Amino acid sequence: MSNIILCPTRGGKESYPNQDRAIALAKERGAEVLFLYITDVKFLDLTAAPILVDIETEMDEMGEFMLAMAQERAEKASVKASTLVHRGHFREVLIDVLEERQIDTVVLGISAGGTGVVTAEYIRELASEISDKTGVEFVVVHQGEIMNTYKP
Amino acid sequence: MQLIFNQIKPYSRYLLIILFTCLFLLIPGETSASFPGQQQDVIEVAIVGRVIDSQGVPVLDAEVTAITASQTEPLAETQSQEDGTWVLEFPEIPLMEFQIVIEHPHFHSQTINLQGTELSALIEDDIYQIDDVILERRISAGFWVATIVFVGVLLLIAFELLHSTTAALAGVSIIFLTSFIGGAIQPDLFIFTFERGLSFIDWEVIFLVMGMMIIIAIVEGTGIFQWLAFQAYRSSRGRTWLLVLILMLITAIASALLDNFTTMLLMTPISLQIGFALGINPLALIIPQVLASNVGGISTLVGTPTNIIIGAYAGISFTDFLVNQTVGVVLALLAMAVFVLLYYRKEFRKQSGGVSPILYQKLEENARIEHPQDLWKSAVVFTLVLIGFVLGERIHLPLAVTALAGATLLLIWLKPDVQHMIKAVDWTTLVFFMALFMIVGAIQEVGLISLAAEGMSRLIGENLVLGIFVIVFGVGTISTVIANIPLAAAMLPIVRFLTASIPGAQNQVLYYALSMGAAMGGNGTLIGGEANLVTAGITEQANTPITFKEFLKIGLPVTYLTLAIGFLWLVFHF
Repeated sequence: MSNIILCPTRGGKESYPNQDRAIALAKERGAEVLFLYITDVKFLDLTAAPILVDIETEMDEMGEFMLAMAQERAEKASVKASTLVHRGHFREVLIDVLEERQIDTVVLGISAGGTGVVTAEYIRELASEISDKTGVEFVVVHQGEIMNTYKP
Repeated sequence: MQLIFNQIKPYSRYLLIILFTCLFLLIPGETSASFPGQQQDVIEVAIVGRVIDSQGVPVLDAEVTAITASQTEPLAETQSQEDGTWVLEFPEIPLMEFQIVIEHPHFHSQTINLQGTELSALIEDDIYQIDDVILERRISAGFWVATIVFVGVLLLIAFELLHSTTAALAGVSIIFLTSFIGGAIQPDLFIFTFERGLSFIDWEVIFLVMGMMIIIAIVEGTGIFQWLAFQAYRSSRGRTWLLVLILMLITAIASALLDNFTTMLLMTPISLQIGFALGINPLALIIPQVLASNVGGISTLVGTPTNIIIGAYAGISFTDFLVNQTVGVVLALLAMAVFVLLYYRKEFRKQSGGVSPILYQKLEENARIEHPQDLWKSAVVFTLVLIGFVLGERIHLPLAVTALAGATLLLIWLKPDVQHMIKAVDWTTLVFFMALFMIVGAIQEVGLISLAAEGMSRLIGENLVLGIFVIVFGVGTISTVIANIPLAAAMLPIVRFLTASIPGAQNQVLYYALSMGAAMGGNGTLIGGEANLVTAGITEQANTPITFKEFLKIGLPVTYLTLAIGFLWLVFHF
């Protein structure tokens, strides 16, 4: 294994505690953190207004900025961090990245205050399912606290 | 000759006499006599008239038939034209009393008896004009189908149960199937013919939107607005109150000249980054921009889809919109800016902690103009298009032609990937417009619009100020939850009726009231406008969601504040 902890994140203030938990875990294990932003413009499907510009590139750039902020937080904590922006559906992208990068552990955050696009239940089920399928450890965190751990 | 004739056998002689007699009778000539009842190409007499509804609107495609009590075949028949007029042409002067029957699927039939004096007048002058015939509306089964379809489509769009285009297409399909299949079984279900349905599509709107889509895609794609946002961030030097004002101004201008939806699509990601870089809640920068984008677009004809529809329908020019709306819009934006500064005062008081060099560089990179050459070429063409919009009015050049010419010039000069640019034209939106026009046409055809117009007319009476108030606040309030494009399209025939019936409304003030109400109302709730929804979609992707309640708390007061200013401006200006 490559001793990398994957932290999928959308950035923003609400994500900081979960990012910090991933950074702390990496420090504890002497691992590197890979922050992942997934650009998904599915929300545009229901709009009647025309999409005339390349919004995915704009979203990718926004994702890069969010990850640069997370990377700074990790580097301040003396943890090596890298970033990755991918396009697509969360589940599929996550599985692809796990296979490509030979990830050890995934720190998956539940959004604070129920503001996320998916429910906590969905996150837990996803973590359990992908952990069984790929053999990767999943740590589900909420506001920086570890809620569940799924080990194969 | 006598010799030849004498040589012919007697029976052949008789045969020849009969043959020549028949030929003489069959060959028409000036001296030939007509048999009674024989059809002729020459029109002897005509009766003309006009059919209107109870609101004085001409009725198209009414069947006009002249019949007698004794004959089963009509003496003459025709259909009313676009202006409601009809001409019944009679091949010969009717010598007996007869009736003219006027029928239309969505009106009660009318019968006019012609006798005595009318017939004498007809015989004397060859042409006789009868008074305008007023048809009374009839609530048919088709009326209910069209009404249910219209409301259903609005609800499907409002609750996002279907894509707007799919919802509108489903509505049109139901209307046509009801007309053709249902109408064949039960004539009362008939709504309109296919040709009549197509006639409701406003092609000027379709082509203007198409041309503007290409222009918007190229101009906004240059990255100019993201660059401006970054310059605003840089020049405000951490003063967030100043930054938000500049961002609101940029968004309002971009929305007025191009389109508010695309502007927010591009401004939201960069504004989120600026907000995070400043260490403040990015929504304090973004929500004011959405509010400004919905209002900014009102000042020009191309600023909002509703303005495009209104302008094309009422024949209001680009300059008219600019002259009659801009001051009101600026006043509304000023009031909005004051409200926003007060509302987010705590957020704007926060001291920016500064941004690291790496993040600053990233921000600068993301706001960089990739192709400066394209930018200045786009600026030149876009300026020409704007000049064309203004000057073209003098030679009655349709805006759609100017927009298409501008789009073509951009394609020739910038040489972008044409395949890509054609894909940039959002055909689903154009199909949505076409389907929507036909659905609104259906409710107009069956009389729902007339009923609504009569109701509003009774409410408003002849009070113009009350009319402006009802339209600005009524449409504004409904637009907070209902998609404003179908609403504005449905309101147009009502506003036309009110414009004709209310003294002093002929300056088209009610159309401007509709424009203000429809656009400003979009600020009321998160689902009030497409720009609101797409902004919320993007902020969600940065884990900074805009909740319905959060938007409502600022959006609703701003809506009524701007509606009030818009109303006062219209009353004062007109």
